[in-house]
Amino acid sequence: MEKELKGKVALVTGGTKGIGRAIADRLSDAGAIVVVTARSLPAKQQAKHPFIAADLTIANETDKVVTEINEKFGSIDILVNNMGGSTSPSGGFAALTDEHWERDLQLNLQSAVRIDRAILPQMVEKKSGVIIHISSVTGSLPVYQSLGGYAVAKAALNNYSKSLSKEFSPQGIRVAAVSPGMVKTDTMDTYLQSLAETSGLSIEQVTQNLMDSLGGIPLGRMALPEEIAELVGFLVSPKASYVTGVNYIIDGGSNPSL
Amino acid sequence: MDKSNKELSGKIALVTGGTKGIGKAIADKLASNGATVVVTARKPSEQEIEHHFIAADLTDSSNIVELTGKIIEKYGTLDILINNVGGTTSPAGGFQMLGDDDWNSDIELNLLASIRLDKAMVPKMIEKNSGVVIHISSLNGKIPLYQSNFSYGVMKSALNAYSKTLANEVAKNGVRVNTVSPGMVKTTAMETFLENYAQTIGKTVAEGSQQLMDSLGGVPLNRLAEPEEIANMVAFLVSDGASYITGANMLVDGGTYPSV
Repeated sequence: MEKELKGKVALVTGGTKGIGRAIADRLSDAGAIVVVTARSLPAKQQAKHPFIAADLTIANETDKVVTEINEKFGSIDILVNNMGGSTSPSGGFAALTDEHWERDLQLNLQSAVRIDRAILPQMVEKKSGVIIHISSVTGSLPVYQSLGGYAVAKAALNNYSKSLSKEFSPQGIRVAAVSPGMVKTDTMDTYLQSLAETSGLSIEQVTQNLMDSLGGIPLGRMALPEEIAELVGFLVSPKASYVTGVNYIIDGGSNPSL
Repeated sequence: MDKSNKELSGKIALVTGGTKGIGKAIADKLASNGATVVVTARKPSEQEIEHHFIAADLTDSSNIVELTGKIIEKYGTLDILINNVGGTTSPAGGFQMLGDDDWNSDIELNLLASIRLDKAMVPKMIEKNSGVVIHISSLNGKIPLYQSNFSYGVMKSALNAYSKTLANEVAKNGVRVNTVSPGMVKTTAMETFLENYAQTIGKTVAEGSQQLMDSLGGVPLNRLAEPEEIANMVAFLVSDGASYITGANMLVDGGTYPSV
């Protein structure tokens, strides 16, 4: 059977672990040529997909990535802006310095803006392309204790993604955001372990506490990275040809609002 | 093609209002993904041969009891419930045009029909700790249009709230509940409407269609959806690939909804 994404060139930023790796695997299974970026390959990991080392919080690394992909594989059809995260401390508003805010915005907003800017002209030229922004449910459900700057940056990313869709959908380019809730990545596992050690509670108990801090998750568990990747795989496929400008929340029901 | 290795093989699905338009596209898609599909409508359509058809008027609660009985008797269970039936016969012209009868019939068709059917079917899903319910809503539930669809939009908004509430309640029982909100869809009914509308305003169908898209604030993708494009979303949501999605309202509107 002909694969759905055969012949398509996809870029997944932050594609070596967690949600990004699951997305890269999913798109590759669907037939796409998938290029992944990250600052470095995780230790002991073999590159499963063509890999370009790049720190996309640095402006001039963006063009380098795009040029290299264009030279090796041609123009880019699918862009998944997956990189993001936060190294800011928890503890609320007063714990965040200018440097924390700048870092959160670079990592979650400006890196995506720059790479979109570098790639959009080739999509406009072909009048086709799909751009996905991996956001977070915290973008619409702020959690001030732990992720203030990150959540604000994701809310900004949602607004930016909607704006971009209004401008470029008339030219045949679909733009959508995906907002996962809690996802069981390696990073999450490490975080939960450290929480458990600090608090003296079991992993199960700290997991439950964290889910409760979101107001509870109706499905009663975290997402697997593969579940996020399935939604992204759908969105970038021709099956989602009328979907643009959306922010799809995939959170097991945890966002309490309509 | 052999159905046994498809994504939805072995699943029993019910699509209300499944003989035409979006409902028919959904029924066809679920069947081509391997499900056994039962469709309802008040009357069979002339070409209805592909799916198991049961005549039912879902605004009549005795019809729902009968429908549920027939499905359970024949298949023993239901895995996928698509509440697609809906619409409006209320007049355009805004608030003053709508009488109690208009409100009541919009409530029946767009809200109570789903609530009654869910009430009959969801317990079967809870029993086996698995099932998926979809409510087909409308962009009108999020973008009110007082001139043409006042009461319909209000009902779809109520349906969105109902769907989210049900999702919260039954997630622990293994049942996922989601809403799909299409924008303007190029169904046969829509085409007929556009032809009449074009005649009324003395313009071409293309101009009338553009005017309608403009009344929504513009459709960034600059066209109406095909029914299949809505069906694709529903097919994804009822599949195992969507196992972490519940309580969501998925817009499929070509970017029409203007807000973040």
